[in-house]
Amino acid sequence: MQPTWQTPRPALLWMLISVVTALALHAGHLPLWLLGAAALTVLWQIQVYRGAWQHPARFIKVLLTLLCFGGVLSSYGRLLGLEPMVALLVSGFLLKLLEIHHRRDALVLIYLAYFIVIIQCLFEQGIVTGFVVVFGVMIVTAALAGLYQNNQNTQNKQTNRSGKLGTWFRPFRSSAVIIVQSLPLMLVLFIVMPRIGALWAVPKEQGSGVVGVSDSMSPGDFSDLGGSSKVAFRVEFEGDIPAQSTLYWRGLVFSDFNGRRWSQSGSWGYQDGSLLQWYGEKPEPWDRQATRRGDALSYKVTLEATNSPWLFALATPKPTSQDVALTRDFRLFSKRPLSSKTQYRVNSWLDYDLETGGLSSWRRKIELALPEGFNPKTRAIAEQWRQESPDPVALLNRLLKLYNKEFIYTLKPPLLGKHTVDEFLWETKRGFCEFYASSFVFFARAAGIPARVVVGYQGGERHPSEDYLLVHQYDAHAWAEVWLEGRGWIRVDPTAAVAPERIEMSFADLFGENEDFLAESLLSLERYRHINWLNNLRLRLDALDYAWAKWVLGYENVQTDLLTGILGRLDPLRVGLFLLAAGALAMLPVAIMSLLGREKKYRDELDKFFIQFCQRMERAGIARRPGEGPRDFAARIESLRPDLADQVSSLTGLFEQQRYNTAVLNKRDLRLKLRRFRPYLRSKIP
Amino acid sequence: MLQGLRDQLKELYQRWVNRRLPAASKIRLSNRRLFIFPTRAGFLFGCVLILLWLVATNFENNLVFGATFLLSAMFVVAIFHTFLNLSGLYVEAGRTPPCFCGGEAEFGILLSQKGRRYRDSISLYHRSSEAVVVSLPGTELAEVWLAVPAEKRGWFEPGRVTLETRYPLGLLRAWTYLDLKLCGLVYPRPIDAQGRLSSKAAGQGVDELPGGREDFRGLERYRQGEALGHIAWKHYAREQGLHTKHFSDPVDEEVWLDWDAFPGMDAEARLSRLCGWLLAISSGSALYGLRIPGTEIPPSRGEAHRTNVLRALALFDQAPRPQS
Repeated sequence: MQPTWQTPRPALLWMLISVVTALALHAGHLPLWLLGAAALTVLWQIQVYRGAWQHPARFIKVLLTLLCFGGVLSSYGRLLGLEPMVALLVSGFLLKLLEIHHRRDALVLIYLAYFIVIIQCLFEQGIVTGFVVVFGVMIVTAALAGLYQNNQNTQNKQTNRSGKLGTWFRPFRSSAVIIVQSLPLMLVLFIVMPRIGALWAVPKEQGSGVVGVSDSMSPGDFSDLGGSSKVAFRVEFEGDIPAQSTLYWRGLVFSDFNGRRWSQSGSWGYQDGSLLQWYGEKPEPWDRQATRRGDALSYKVTLEATNSPWLFALATPKPTSQDVALTRDFRLFSKRPLSSKTQYRVNSWLDYDLETGGLSSWRRKIELALPEGFNPKTRAIAEQWRQESPDPVALLNRLLKLYNKEFIYTLKPPLLGKHTVDEFLWETKRGFCEFYASSFVFFARAAGIPARVVVGYQGGERHPSEDYLLVHQYDAHAWAEVWLEGRGWIRVDPTAAVAPERIEMSFADLFGENEDFLAESLLSLERYRHINWLNNLRLRLDALDYAWAKWVLGYENVQTDLLTGILGRLDPLRVGLFLLAAGALAMLPVAIMSLLGREKKYRDELDKFFIQFCQRMERAGIARRPGEGPRDFAARIESLRPDLADQVSSLTGLFEQQRYNTAVLNKRDLRLKLRRFRPYLRSKIP
Repeated sequence: MLQGLRDQLKELYQRWVNRRLPAASKIRLSNRRLFIFPTRAGFLFGCVLILLWLVATNFENNLVFGATFLLSAMFVVAIFHTFLNLSGLYVEAGRTPPCFCGGEAEFGILLSQKGRRYRDSISLYHRSSEAVVVSLPGTELAEVWLAVPAEKRGWFEPGRVTLETRYPLGLLRAWTYLDLKLCGLVYPRPIDAQGRLSSKAAGQGVDELPGGREDFRGLERYRQGEALGHIAWKHYAREQGLHTKHFSDPVDEEVWLDWDAFPGMDAEARLSRLCGWLLAISSGSALYGLRIPGTEIPPSRGEAHRTNVLRALALFDQAPRPQS
């Protein structure tokens, strides 16, 4: 066996720190056993280094590899997908740590560490993550620098400026310097480099820990959202923000009810024409029949990751962004599920008429369908009411009045049994939006009025200084739409009948003092919004977060505008030249720093003095030989040029005395003495 | 024919190198003299960058883009650092103590700088030697000893020496070929001829001959490039630093070192035996002289005399010292 390459100690230290950092970053979504394995491998490597343990034998490594595969498979149930792939990568990374025999093994480990640290951005994209990843890159770079640092020399030499600790810390210092110097160029590249869209489909993160409106609704779903203070999306309006009570952000339309759960009807139940009308495409017939009146309301929505394709907009929208479609039921739909923050632009007309021309029979059937065997009491009463007042508007008003008189809005309603609507309407009478929406639509359908449930968000919080609207998960809402002859689809919010303040005020304003609200997030700043300065802090942080989302995470949306603003016009030549110029500018500080550091002046007067002397002698044709001591040099000069002997011997005498004797003159006296030789040193030797 | 073409190209390259990097005994490394190119590790790093870019593009993730650009920028900054680790460095030939043929000639090379830049991990090597790694941790001067196997008696010019660095990240290699006009004297390979000699040179030494192999004389601090076989590893293991063991041989008496004492041998064989004889005898109290064709050195003793004799042996029938 050839002699094994020994990892330099500082490099090993920083490699271990890199491993720990990479693992810590991913700890949130790695299985527990893998973290345990990580601790074991780190310990093993330390023991190998100390000579206490052996490198694991080949069969153990094979065994460990198989174990990791099996472990990942049993933890995730699959090998494809982002999370299992990262888990596999981390396993390989840990196994590599056990077999560092050459420098190239260490390199592979370090490059893998870069990759794993950076991959963390696929899971989290906050500001903090950004900074943590840069710090992680710094640590990994320290490991890389440690590999190429010469330690032997610094340990032996007494001239070493820093002590033993310095040897350990030096790689990190080099790394920090390099990273800081790289930041300007990184910024330039980030701004200028074009982004081309995805080249092929990739497995995205599976929706763990993502809250949001889901594609079906059953009793109790929304109370989970009520407890979440996470931001759902932010909206920037081109003009003023409209009144709170008009902000109904439509997300999904549910026409299908199975007795417990509302969901979208199969292929959304529509059969006339294309279901999706992409931005830029010719309007479908169903879109041309819709009437939009008045000025459009233009706004830009920045939606957090939801892992679903539903987008939110005010009725009635028209998308003005690529890859966004208008659906047959006038909602917005994204081409890809949103695995990360996404921005899109919309125009909405708040004054509209939809399907005023009448519903076809198959549409009527869908919008009136009720499951057999559920809620018999409600069906009976609805039938009875219809006979009493055949006018649908009067009937619905009667129902809303009932809500208003007898119902209570609460986030902690009693549990419901099989006949959810019956129990809610005639027994418990306590609930929140989805209970009202569900019972209202059921009742309307039972009374022969086409109706459907709409879910999305209602309202939002105005950011006081930044002029945008913040919509939180607790703003999630469900309401109803009913179809009336001659008037088309009309929005009815039964919750408004129970708790009108729920619609007029933002949800948090209403429930802020209530202890049920956000009961689960004690640490959420949202919970303490009645404390003024904390509330300000929260809003500041959110403004920062929004700026981050706009300028960093969604940079491709603003890139074209920004570059056009700077360059006037975008063509490859201009962009290329700009990249070169800005890149050179970014490297300027580095270049200047290096040039300044290159030839610093001597601080030691005596050395300077002796070097001047040598230079003068060189001009006179007597160069000091390498390794020649001052005394030998003086002797050689005296033998070659006896005429210089006096000066040279007194000068050399002074130098030797100051350099090698313990009784050294103080600085001022030395300078005075040296000054006396100056005219001599400057004069020409004949 | 291909071989011929290759030789021709090599020749052309050599001529270009000679013109671009002229010889001098003291050389300041400037951008004229330095080359820089990514290492294999650097190319691998490039692959990592491409991979990251693909991830960023496909996941449409601007943070991964940012990190990819950070690493790319780091590569560019590393070019500066690697280059500046050598740029402005002065390299000059130092002392070269004579050595024996078959051993290693130790060429002293001095690295110096004006200013206090921290220059790290500069390695120097010759095509037939191990690399020596040296740093200037903010100091002005460092001396290294480059040990090159000496295979021929006489003046030994090892030719160009490569000086390179991969500091700080190993992504790039900056290097230059230095012709420092290095030149060292190589004595003949000593061959022990005791058996064929009279009993005059029996070993009852008073004086000692350093550089011998038998009696342990003491430890000295390790100098860069000294033969590894003499390092006191036990001391190193006790973390007392690197030291080398030095030995000496006891010798005595007086004699003529005579060319004719080894009849029927060729010149090199005779010189080797004379050399071995000299080593055996020179540290004693004996007076000794040398008689070889063209040179006769009268008997004497002492360090200077010994050097003279060795020099005469080394330069027998050799061209004069190359111009330096």
